[in-house]
Amino acid sequence: MDKPLELKTGTIADAIAALKEKYPGAVKDDSRQGYSGIVVDKSKLVEVATAIRDELGFDYLSSATGVDYFGISDHMEVVYHAYRTSGGAALVFKAQTGRENAEIPSLTPVWPGADFQEREIWDLYGIKFPGHPNLKRILMWEGFAGHPMRKDWKEAYYEEEHKPFGSRWPGGWVHRAEELNVYGHNVTYPADLDLSKLNDASEEALYSGMGLGVNVTQLDDETALKVDRLVVNLGPHHPSTHGVFRMVVTLNGETIELLEPVMGYLHRNHEKIGERNTFLHNMPFTDRLDYIASMSNNLGYALAVEQLLARGARWQPPSYRAEVIRVLMVELTRIVNHYWAIGFFLNDLGAFFTPALYAIAEREKILDFFEATAGSRMMCNYMRFGGVFKDIPERIRGVANLLNDQVRDFNTMDYLTELINDRIPRSIDELDRLLTDSEIIRSRCIGVGYLPPEMAVAYSCAGPLLRASGVPYDVRRAEPYSIYPELDFDVAVRYNGDLYDRYLLRLDEMRESVRILKQVLPRLEATKGQNVFGPAQHTPRVPVGESYGRVENPKGELGYYVVSNGIGEEASKGPQNPWRYHVRAPSFINLTALGAMCKGHKVADVVAILGSIDIVLGETDR
Amino acid sequence: MDVCSINNIARCLVNSGFDPALAQFITILLGVVVVASFPLVVVIFLIWVERKFAARIQDRIGPNRVGPYGLLQTVADAIKLIAKEDITPAGADRLVYNAAPIMAVMSVLLIWAVIPFSPIHVGVDLEIGALYFVAVASIATLAIMLAGWSSNNKYALLGAFRVVAQLVSYEVPLVFALLVPILFASSMSMQDIVHAQSGMWFFFMAPVAGLIFFISSQAETGRAPFDLLEAESEIVAGFNIEYSGMKFGLFFAGEFMHVLTNGVLMAVLFFGGWLGPLVEQAPIILGPLYLFAKSTFWYLLSLLIRNTVPRVRIDQLMDFNWKFLVPLSIVNFVVIAVLLRLCEALGIAPAAANANDFVANIPQTLVLLLGNAAIAAYVLNRLRRAGREQRLAEAGRTLAAVGEKAAVAH
Repeated sequence: MDKPLELKTGTIADAIAALKEKYPGAVKDDSRQGYSGIVVDKSKLVEVATAIRDELGFDYLSSATGVDYFGISDHMEVVYHAYRTSGGAALVFKAQTGRENAEIPSLTPVWPGADFQEREIWDLYGIKFPGHPNLKRILMWEGFAGHPMRKDWKEAYYEEEHKPFGSRWPGGWVHRAEELNVYGHNVTYPADLDLSKLNDASEEALYSGMGLGVNVTQLDDETALKVDRLVVNLGPHHPSTHGVFRMVVTLNGETIELLEPVMGYLHRNHEKIGERNTFLHNMPFTDRLDYIASMSNNLGYALAVEQLLARGARWQPPSYRAEVIRVLMVELTRIVNHYWAIGFFLNDLGAFFTPALYAIAEREKILDFFEATAGSRMMCNYMRFGGVFKDIPERIRGVANLLNDQVRDFNTMDYLTELINDRIPRSIDELDRLLTDSEIIRSRCIGVGYLPPEMAVAYSCAGPLLRASGVPYDVRRAEPYSIYPELDFDVAVRYNGDLYDRYLLRLDEMRESVRILKQVLPRLEATKGQNVFGPAQHTPRVPVGESYGRVENPKGELGYYVVSNGIGEEASKGPQNPWRYHVRAPSFINLTALGAMCKGHKVADVVAILGSIDIVLGETDR
Repeated sequence: MDVCSINNIARCLVNSGFDPALAQFITILLGVVVVASFPLVVVIFLIWVERKFAARIQDRIGPNRVGPYGLLQTVADAIKLIAKEDITPAGADRLVYNAAPIMAVMSVLLIWAVIPFSPIHVGVDLEIGALYFVAVASIATLAIMLAGWSSNNKYALLGAFRVVAQLVSYEVPLVFALLVPILFASSMSMQDIVHAQSGMWFFFMAPVAGLIFFISSQAETGRAPFDLLEAESEIVAGFNIEYSGMKFGLFFAGEFMHVLTNGVLMAVLFFGGWLGPLVEQAPIILGPLYLFAKSTFWYLLSLLIRNTVPRVRIDQLMDFNWKFLVPLSIVNFVVIAVLLRLCEALGIAPAAANANDFVANIPQTLVLLLGNAAIAAYVLNRLRRAGREQRLAEAGRTLAAVGEKAAVAH
């Protein structure tokens, strides 16, 4: 019988020491410069992971992702970030494998939340996960040749490994990538793919498990009613899938028996593009992930890169005012997002756009402020490493006029004060008053889409989905960043884990955000005149290492796993481009629980459950 | 010498030398054309009303580009629909697929044949007008079912499933509510039902039946919150997902006409139809005016509901019908029948001679209203108790969850 691990303190170092003691030889420190955590021998991975979960209490697998070290040390590794739901820092552990026939045992038996993430790693890196119940491509299609995140894989219009690219007109000629790589000759298909049977090939694999055309009730009684299942594709073109998301459902009448999410229709290999970009290039690119909440996306990425930059000599951390502005922006974004989520959740319940339009009316005011500050309403591209791009303006002047030809011209602080103290709370109360006690909403929502807390944690659900199930886990409190430690707010939590509680939780969170914003306003007033952006860092050289920056995005925990590394001289100078840029997208991982939540409910409920998860396809498909 | 007017076309034609049979034929044809095209023209305006109304509710402006106040928007839309390619999906059952939209519009138009517009203007004053309405309105159910089935599309099929469940079920309370005015008027003729209300509108004698009729006719039309047939957020467009161009336009127009028709029927059955002050003096103007003023109220109420509530789920829809509306409508019918007989026995009922007198109707109305109030009070109390039980159960669940949570966190 194994001796249980003993922990003197709850620190990560202590946990690592205990693991090393229990599994000598299998667990080693990750001694590379700038790296942290442990490297676990892959043959012992499941065992060690179980110990990490059960004995050390790291019950929440936040992120699992692959990295290809082709050219540096010629191996691939899978990086796991496990957290305790009671809070604290991550236990980072890695498993390494060779690049040929790459295989790492699946951790789905330990954390079911690894399901989609391991499929993604298989899809993009070609690492096989023996033990995974359903290992097939998730973002790319079945007829795709190769695994695109591998460093030796080149895209169709490949130009150069890294930006900034060399001149496209050396010697006066313009060389366009599409002329050098002519269309039609730049695409490869897998050797065994029969192009004429393209659709059959991919769809057969999908439908094979769905029980198409099979009698459900094989009753001996001749008089019994024979029932057939019906397989229906909800999406990718469907008004309520919030984009191009697809659910293949097996129906028994109107009741869902099986649900299989299919995604990747909006996949653009964000991460590969991110590795070609310089560090700063990725900042506007993060806007496009969760396009409702671009400010928060910015912040997560800035935090991840700042962790790396902080190891360098010339680093200046963001000023206090910059942090205050960041929190202002992020909390406004949370309110915007929850307005949106509640409004369109009601649409999914079948309301005819009225609640949605009521909900997003106030959003316009917030976006006006974003526009005046960042220059854009949705794609804000506002944060920078070491601050924000620009201070908030003195006055908000609009190009568009208000009603009655009034020109839009407000003092920014007055505008914000009115917005935060008056308008937003009023409209939240209005939503509450109009929706919360509606009999139809209550009967449609209460008890539907139930997600028990232990399952929510196991499936790595995050954000409102997790907290509505009674797990008070919020990154702003669990592992605080920016100025959150000094702000007074509660982590909103509800205990029933159904649609109604998710809706109520979003209202609660909006109220908490207003509470935060009310504390931000005086700080904003007090720090007037402070610099918001340190030394100009347009193409920073980032010290070698890895970092995981995570923020509590409106939709859940958004994490960026960034590795700065390079080959040869590049590494010693500090690379300009991320070696690895991974996005732990909350929408993507929250979907893992969708199938389980929908089982046994009606078609109408599936749409509502999906709406209550609140996904954005820009982030899900990346 | 008679003055030729709309009231005596046949006689005018005969006077000017037409064969009496031909004159009769022309008159009837004219009547059919007028009665059948009237709702079709009105619907163009109604769609504009609906869009403007929805826009105002949602803090928008609504159509305002085509014509004054956007009035011609629907005309532009109709032209667009007509100009579109006429598509029949490859897998569809051609005949049924193409017949369904025509049937949908036809069934609504046929209802208008028995609607009395004024004391003298009615398409056909059938003695079994109410029965005819029930029979004809059911054709719409058939049309929608056929559309869903013949489209050879899974969403359409799901829509058709729901049609069978919903429309057939809601006909039961609809008919039971319809029986109440028939009981009052002792006649199935629509004109008789209107005449019988000259003393007192039936709504004041049987408000519960009126509301049941309104709710179940909302469901029959497939309007929110019962729009499961074409639930956009669930099954995209349901039964009409494969329809495009004017074939879709027919379904669309059919639905709008049906909503208006529901309002008109509410007016005729419960609000005295064309009855109003001075209607006998100028029936051709005031009759339709009163009728449409009354039906517009119900039409706008239907719009208000559509734009404010979300949709119920299919099982809740069926529960609401079979466990609530059907028993309620039966009880309501029985209670009213008994009370009516009681009034007669006690001599409270107005005598046949002064049935049209408002004052003479008051005692009986009060008795019936009391009966209705008793039913309503019982139902509301029952609902409140059920709601309280549900909330208590829910609070218990929350408390249990919190307690568990507290226990886990020592």
